[in-house]
Amino acid sequence: MVLAHRFALASKNVTADAIEATEFPELSNRYRVSGVPHTVINEGSGNMVGAAPEEMLVDEIKKALKL
Amino acid sequence: MGNFLDDTITKQLREIFENLQSPVEVMVFTSKKDCEYCEDTSALLEEVCALSPKLHLQKVDLEADAKLGAQYAVTRTPAVALLGQVDGKTTDFGVRFSGIPAGHEFSALVEDILAVSRQQPEISPQTQAFLDSLQSPVHLEIFTTPT
Repeated sequence: MVLAHRFALASKNVTADAIEATEFPELSNRYRVSGVPHTVINEGSGNMVGAAPEEMLVDEIKKALKL
Repeated sequence: MGNFLDDTITKQLREIFENLQSPVEVMVFTSKKDCEYCEDTSALLEEVCALSPKLHLQKVDLEADAKLGAQYAVTRTPAVALLGQVDGKTTDFGVRFSGIPAGHEFSALVEDILAVSRQQPEISPQTQAFLDSLQSPVHLEIFTTPT
Protein backbone atom coordinates (compact mmCIF):
# COMPACT_ATOMS: atom_id res chain seq x y z
CA MET A 1 0.00 0.00 0.00
CA VAL A 2 2.97 2.30 0.45
CA LEU A 3 3.67 2.06 -3.28
CA ALA A 4 0.14 3.19 -4.11
CA HIS A 5 0.44 6.02 -1.59
CA ARG A 6 3.69 7.04 -3.27
CA PHE A 7 1.90 7.22 -6.62
CA ALA A 8 -0.68 9.48 -4.94
CA LEU A 9 2.08 11.68 -3.54
CA ALA A 10 3.66 11.89 -7.00
CA SER A 11 0.53 12.89 -8.91
CA LYS A 12 -2.40 15.25 -8.50
CA ASN A 13 -4.48 12.76 -10.49
CA VAL A 14 -3.92 9.81 -8.20
CA THR A 15 -5.57 9.09 -4.85
CA ALA A 16 -4.77 5.94 -2.87
CA ASP A 17 -6.76 4.55 0.02
CA ALA A 18 -5.43 1.67 2.14
CA ILE A 19 -8.57 -0.06 3.36
CA GLU A 20 -8.65 -2.45 6.28
CA ALA A 21 -10.79 -5.16 4.72
CA THR A 22 -12.31 -6.70 7.84
CA GLU A 23 -13.81 -3.37 8.92
CA PHE A 24 -15.54 -2.84 5.59
CA PRO A 25 -17.01 -6.23 4.63
CA GLU A 26 -19.63 -4.86 2.23
CA LEU A 27 -16.99 -3.05 0.26
CA SER A 28 -14.70 -6.08 0.31
CA ASN A 29 -17.54 -8.26 -0.93
CA ARG A 30 -18.48 -5.82 -3.64
CA TYR A 31 -15.01 -6.14 -5.09
CA ARG A 32 -14.80 -9.87 -4.26
CA VAL A 33 -11.71 -9.41 -2.16
CA SER A 34 -10.52 -12.79 -0.98
CA GLY A 35 -6.75 -12.47 -0.70
CA VAL A 36 -4.88 -9.42 0.45
CA PRO A 37 -3.41 -7.18 -0.65
CA HIS A 38 -5.99 -6.60 -3.35
CA THR A 39 -5.82 -3.38 -5.31
CA VAL A 40 -8.92 -2.05 -7.04
CA ILE A 41 -8.42 0.62 -9.69
CA ASN A 42 -11.18 3.12 -10.46
CA GLU A 43 -13.98 1.28 -8.73
CA GLY A 44 -13.35 -1.98 -10.60
CA SER A 45 -11.95 -0.93 -13.97
CA GLY A 46 -8.82 -2.73 -12.89
CA ASN A 47 -7.90 -5.30 -10.26
CA MET A 48 -4.67 -6.63 -8.90
CA VAL A 49 -4.15 -9.32 -6.30
CA GLY A 50 -0.92 -9.50 -4.37
CA ALA A 51 1.90 -7.10 -3.74
CA ALA A 52 3.17 -5.80 -7.02
CA PRO A 53 6.29 -4.01 -8.10
CA GLU A 54 6.13 -0.50 -9.46
CA GLU A 55 6.10 -1.43 -13.16
CA MET A 56 3.23 -3.83 -12.66
CA LEU A 57 1.09 -1.24 -10.90
CA VAL A 58 1.79 1.14 -13.79
CA ASP A 59 0.75 -1.56 -16.28
CA GLU A 60 -2.46 -2.32 -14.40
CA ILE A 61 -3.34 1.37 -14.27
CA LYS A 62 -2.74 1.62 -18.03
CA LYS A 63 -5.01 -1.38 -18.59
CA ALA A 64 -7.71 0.07 -16.37
CA LEU A 65 -7.57 3.36 -18.26
CA LYS A 66 -7.39 1.51 -21.60
CA LEU A 67 -4.15 3.29 -22.45
CA MET B 1 2.08 6.90 28.85
CA GLY B 2 -0.14 5.70 26.04
CA ASN B 3 -2.30 2.68 25.50
CA PHE B 4 -1.20 1.63 22.05
CA LEU B 5 2.49 2.31 21.69
CA ASP B 6 4.90 0.65 24.09
CA ASP B 7 8.13 2.27 25.25
CA THR B 8 10.26 0.57 22.59
CA ILE B 9 8.05 1.65 19.71
CA THR B 10 7.71 5.15 21.15
CA LYS B 11 11.49 5.49 21.31
CA GLN B 12 11.92 4.15 17.77
CA LEU B 13 9.25 6.48 16.41
CA ARG B 14 10.77 9.54 18.08
CA GLU B 15 14.04 8.72 16.35
CA ILE B 16 12.37 8.07 13.01
CA PHE B 17 10.43 11.31 13.23
CA GLU B 18 13.64 13.27 13.70
CA ASN B 19 13.99 12.75 9.95
CA LEU B 20 10.80 14.66 9.27
CA GLN B 21 11.30 17.70 7.12
CA SER B 22 8.21 19.74 6.42
CA PRO B 23 5.23 19.38 8.78
CA VAL B 24 2.53 16.80 8.22
CA GLU B 25 -1.11 17.35 9.05
CA VAL B 26 -2.75 14.13 10.18
CA MET B 27 -6.51 14.36 9.76
CA VAL B 28 -8.56 11.71 11.52
CA PHE B 29 -12.19 11.41 10.47
CA THR B 30 -14.57 9.73 12.87
CA SER B 31 -18.25 9.17 13.31
CA LYS B 32 -20.29 8.58 16.44
CA LYS B 33 -22.50 6.14 14.55
CA ASP B 34 -21.53 2.55 13.80
CA CYS B 35 -17.83 3.01 14.12
CA GLU B 36 -16.25 0.31 16.20
CA TYR B 37 -12.69 1.53 15.82
CA CYS B 38 -13.13 5.28 15.68
CA GLU B 39 -12.15 5.97 19.27
CA ASP B 40 -9.13 3.70 19.10
CA THR B 41 -7.98 5.23 15.82
CA SER B 42 -8.28 8.73 17.22
CA ALA B 43 -6.37 7.76 20.37
CA LEU B 44 -3.67 5.94 18.40
CA LEU B 45 -3.04 8.88 16.10
CA GLU B 46 -2.97 11.20 19.12
CA GLU B 47 -0.15 9.13 20.57
CA VAL B 48 1.72 9.12 17.27
CA CYS B 49 1.38 12.86 16.68
CA ALA B 50 2.57 13.65 20.20
CA LEU B 51 5.97 12.23 19.25
CA SER B 52 7.00 15.09 16.98
CA PRO B 53 6.35 18.83 16.81
CA LYS B 54 6.14 18.42 13.02
CA LEU B 55 3.02 16.26 13.26
CA HIS B 56 -0.27 18.06 13.72
CA LEU B 57 -3.41 16.15 14.51
CA GLN B 58 -6.78 17.38 13.35
CA LYS B 59 -9.82 15.40 14.46
CA VAL B 60 -12.91 15.71 12.30
CA ASP B 61 -16.36 14.41 13.21
CA LEU B 62 -18.10 13.60 9.93
CA GLU B 63 -21.57 14.45 11.21
CA ALA B 64 -20.49 17.72 12.80
CA ASP B 65 -18.32 18.74 9.87
CA ALA B 66 -19.83 17.33 6.73
CA LYS B 67 -18.25 20.04 4.58
CA LEU B 68 -14.77 19.02 5.59
CA GLY B 69 -15.65 15.39 4.96
CA ALA B 70 -16.84 16.31 1.48
CA GLN B 71 -13.74 18.41 0.81
CA TYR B 72 -11.53 15.42 1.51
CA ALA B 73 -13.96 12.93 -0.10
CA VAL B 74 -14.23 10.90 3.09
CA THR B 75 -17.31 8.73 3.44
CA ARG B 76 -15.98 5.84 5.53
CA THR B 77 -14.84 6.02 9.13
CA PRO B 78 -12.41 5.84 10.71
CA ALA B 79 -10.33 7.46 8.01
CA VAL B 80 -6.93 9.12 8.04
CA ALA B 81 -5.65 11.67 5.54
CA LEU B 82 -2.03 12.77 5.46
CA LEU B 83 -1.51 16.32 4.23
CA GLY B 84 1.78 18.02 3.45
CA GLN B 85 3.01 21.57 3.22
CA VAL B 86 3.84 22.95 -0.21
CA ASP B 87 5.07 26.56 -0.31
CA GLY B 88 3.49 27.12 3.08
CA LYS B 89 0.11 25.77 2.00
CA THR B 90 -1.50 22.65 3.38
CA THR B 91 -1.78 20.26 0.45
CA ASP B 92 -3.82 17.10 0.01
CA PHE B 93 -1.88 14.43 -1.89
CA GLY B 94 -4.73 11.93 -1.82
CA VAL B 95 -3.08 9.65 0.73
CA ARG B 96 -5.74 7.87 2.77
CA PHE B 97 -6.28 5.06 5.21
CA SER B 98 -9.73 3.61 5.89
CA GLY B 99 -10.01 1.63 9.09
CA ILE B 100 -7.65 1.58 12.03
CA PRO B 101 -4.03 1.52 10.81
CA ALA B 102 -2.89 -1.45 12.87
CA GLY B 103 -0.28 -4.14 12.26
CA HIS B 104 1.62 -3.62 9.05
CA GLU B 105 -0.72 -0.81 8.12
CA PHE B 106 0.88 1.03 11.03
CA SER B 107 4.34 0.72 9.51
CA ALA B 108 2.87 1.89 6.21
CA LEU B 109 1.43 4.90 8.05
CA VAL B 110 4.87 5.76 9.44
CA GLU B 111 6.52 5.36 6.03
CA ASP B 112 3.83 7.49 4.44
CA ILE B 113 4.25 10.22 7.06
CA LEU B 114 7.95 10.37 6.19
CA ALA B 115 7.26 10.36 2.45
CA VAL B 116 4.67 13.17 2.72
CA SER B 117 7.02 15.16 4.92
CA ARG B 118 9.91 14.82 2.47
CA GLN B 119 7.61 14.92 -0.53
CA GLN B 120 9.77 12.26 -2.09
CA PRO B 121 7.72 9.58 -3.79
CA GLU B 122 10.87 7.53 -4.51
CA ILE B 123 9.57 6.17 -7.78
CA SER B 124 11.47 5.72 -11.03
CA PRO B 125 11.69 8.54 -13.60
CA GLN B 126 9.68 6.32 -15.98
CA THR B 127 6.88 5.95 -13.47
CA GLN B 128 6.93 9.69 -12.73
CA ALA B 129 6.73 10.42 -16.46
CA PHE B 130 3.76 8.06 -16.79
CA LEU B 131 1.99 9.71 -13.85
CA ASP B 132 2.70 13.16 -15.31
CA SER B 133 1.03 12.05 -18.54
CA LEU B 134 -2.25 11.10 -16.85
CA GLN B 135 -5.25 12.98 -18.17
CA SER B 136 -7.89 11.50 -15.90
CA PRO B 137 -8.20 10.49 -12.25
CA VAL B 138 -6.86 7.23 -10.88
CA HIS B 139 -8.41 6.01 -7.65
CA LEU B 140 -6.53 3.16 -6.01
CA GLU B 141 -8.19 1.18 -3.23
CA ILE B 142 -5.80 -1.25 -1.59
CA PHE B 143 -7.50 -3.83 0.58
CA THR B 144 -5.35 -5.22 3.31
CA THR B 145 -5.48 -6.73 6.79
CA PRO B 146 -3.31 -5.96 9.80
CA THR B 147 -1.54 -9.35 9.84
